[in-house]
Amino acid sequence: MKETPLSNCERRFLLRAIEEKKRLDGRQTYDYRNIRISFGTDYGCCIVELGKTRVLGQVSCELVAPKLNRATEGILFFNLELSQMAAPAFEPGRQSDLLVKLNRLLERCLRNSKCIDTESLCVVAGEKVWQIRVDLHLLNHDGNIIDAASVAAIVALCHFRRPDVSVQGDEVTLYTPEERDPVPLSIHHMPICVSFAFFQQGTYLLVDPNEREERVMDGLLVIAMNKHREICTIQSSGGIMLLKDQVLRCSKIAGVKVAEITELIQKALENDQKVRKEGGKFGFAESIANQRITAFKMEKASIDTSDVEEKAEEIIAEAEPPSEVVSKPVLWTPGTAQIGEGVENSWGDLEDSEKEDDDEGGSDEAIILDSIKMDTGIEVSDIGSQDAPIILSDSEEEEMIILEPDKNPKKIRTQTISVKQEKAPNKKPVKRRKKKRAAN
Amino acid sequence: MAMEMRLPVARKPLSERLGRDTKKHLVVPGDTITTDTGFMRGHGTYMGEEKLIASVAGSVERVNKLICVKALKTRYIGEVGDIVVGRITEVQQKRWKVETNSRLDSVLLLSSMNLPGGELRRRSAEDELAMRGFLQEGDLISAEVQAVFSDGAVSLHTRSLKYGKLGQGVLVQVSPSLVKRQKTHFHDLPCGASVILGNNGFIWIYPTPEHKEEEAGGFAANLEPVSLADREVISRLRNCIVSLVTQRMMLYDTSILYCYEASLPHQIKDILKPEIMEEIVMETRQRLLEQEG
Repeated sequence: MKETPLSNCERRFLLRAIEEKKRLDGRQTYDYRNIRISFGTDYGCCIVELGKTRVLGQVSCELVAPKLNRATEGILFFNLELSQMAAPAFEPGRQSDLLVKLNRLLERCLRNSKCIDTESLCVVAGEKVWQIRVDLHLLNHDGNIIDAASVAAIVALCHFRRPDVSVQGDEVTLYTPEERDPVPLSIHHMPICVSFAFFQQGTYLLVDPNEREERVMDGLLVIAMNKHREICTIQSSGGIMLLKDQVLRCSKIAGVKVAEITELIQKALENDQKVRKEGGKFGFAESIANQRITAFKMEKASIDTSDVEEKAEEIIAEAEPPSEVVSKPVLWTPGTAQIGEGVENSWGDLEDSEKEDDDEGGSDEAIILDSIKMDTGIEVSDIGSQDAPIILSDSEEEEMIILEPDKNPKKIRTQTISVKQEKAPNKKPVKRRKKKRAAN
Repeated sequence: MAMEMRLPVARKPLSERLGRDTKKHLVVPGDTITTDTGFMRGHGTYMGEEKLIASVAGSVERVNKLICVKALKTRYIGEVGDIVVGRITEVQQKRWKVETNSRLDSVLLLSSMNLPGGELRRRSAEDELAMRGFLQEGDLISAEVQAVFSDGAVSLHTRSLKYGKLGQGVLVQVSPSLVKRQKTHFHDLPCGASVILGNNGFIWIYPTPEHKEEEAGGFAANLEPVSLADREVISRLRNCIVSLVTQRMMLYDTSILYCYEASLPHQIKDILKPEIMEEIVMETRQRLLEQEG
């Protein structure tokens, strides 16, 4: 299927948000998404979930004849496949560029870094060596395939056990898993790729871009590092010009991230080891929870409420007293009654105040964003202390005011009202405006 | 700020709610339509084992001896004379590639585009170089289908002042089968906004331009700020269209207008709630039936 093109307004929205250091899922600039590693029943099979990007890795081995010029070394073979279920745009034969790029990167990261000791894979020099084959399948594409794939590859390799072999003179005995426990591969270090996405010609940087962010990025820098801070591979694509200190900064960030991810991997491997030893249940059926379509669950996203108190106090200090609300019902016709006059249409006030305060134009959006944050703060802090009657009205565009006897009323339901108050604290409080009512 | 929480609930199937007498013959791929071999097979069917079997999911239509299955959810299939709303995806040598929700990208040739000022002249090499100045990647245009190639790709033209680049507004993407074929697809609704019902399922809602000035071939996008009242009308229309689509009603100017009027007592954001959607569309359906009958 074709990929649906990103609309201009979506692109602009994403870029503006990135300029303001905001990401759609609430992460910070250097935050990774949650990584979940689960193992299958066979050794060497694992699924890595980086947010919603899922990669399945499977390692298998075979005894083959070695390459002629490397008679004492085993053979490593890596293969990443973009399954059609990962994204509608992936079709057999359509994804070649991306596929080649990812495969090359993975090979350089894992093969050229010599993370696996190939000499230990030799059984009989010149005749029989182990060929280790790592197959990675992308199950879902939500951005940053390379990171997830590199983690899956190294986890699968660490998890894998090959059958034991003993050589006595000319005799080579290959033991089945029942006769002798399979033996883990000899792995020197764990190289992990960290991706950095650049926007606006290298001005803004994000770690672990998700799919939307990848679509609007200018360039990508991938650094493969291990926990000993050795760089295994570094690649920059997209044709952006990077400054030396940017690259150095990225490598420092990569060092920190790789340390965290390596720790996570170690923990996951140990857990699985423990469960298998104790005879508990292991495998995908246990570790991947049943996801029911009717059960909604969102991960927690943290909101920055550090300046809420100050904002709240500012608003309260500048708040105007609300107009008096008459609570006697007026009967218009049988079936139609009115309680109270309603309050003036503050949506209209927003327009007016925009026109009058033209010079403040630039700070509009920042104020609105701040007042949204501030609003949630107010709601949370004041809900408990209401004992005055609450007057609600059904009509559109009216404020809901919760009156309290002595204190200044706190207005809830309102980013417009807060804007009005922040921008024009000296305006005359009540403007009689006829609410525009479409034909009833 | 009031917060609303909803729990997921099983949706009632449409047929229950409608209680229609004449049930449409709905089939899924693989269903047998008929075992009578006297019929000619049309689109969406194939002959297998002496039976006529459906190959797409949709409703069976029969015209005399011809049986075809009209698919419910399909990509847009171009017909000459259709109005489409599309998005430019590529700028090529003498043409633009336009995405119109069809199987292949549609093509807009440079020679089929009207130049600014409405002049009629041969397109020169300078025009080719200036193509990006007219339409860039990501722009939305309204155009008419000029021809359909043999592989199904559609060739567009904007050789009239009413077609061209679209300015500010809201795009709603629906299934092409829900847009009713009518004489005109450009409507100025009395509620204060205008709508273009593209046959390819792209619906464009925009504020009615104040005066029908002599447009320069529809290139200059009007970027003046849209007033709040207009924006509210447009949002309400957009939500109405979404609710009509969820209830699988055909979209045309009358249905959209009735739905808009039925939705007035509710707040704009409430229209998207399932129960209010049902209520509004029920009322619309009622009014449409009254109007017909």
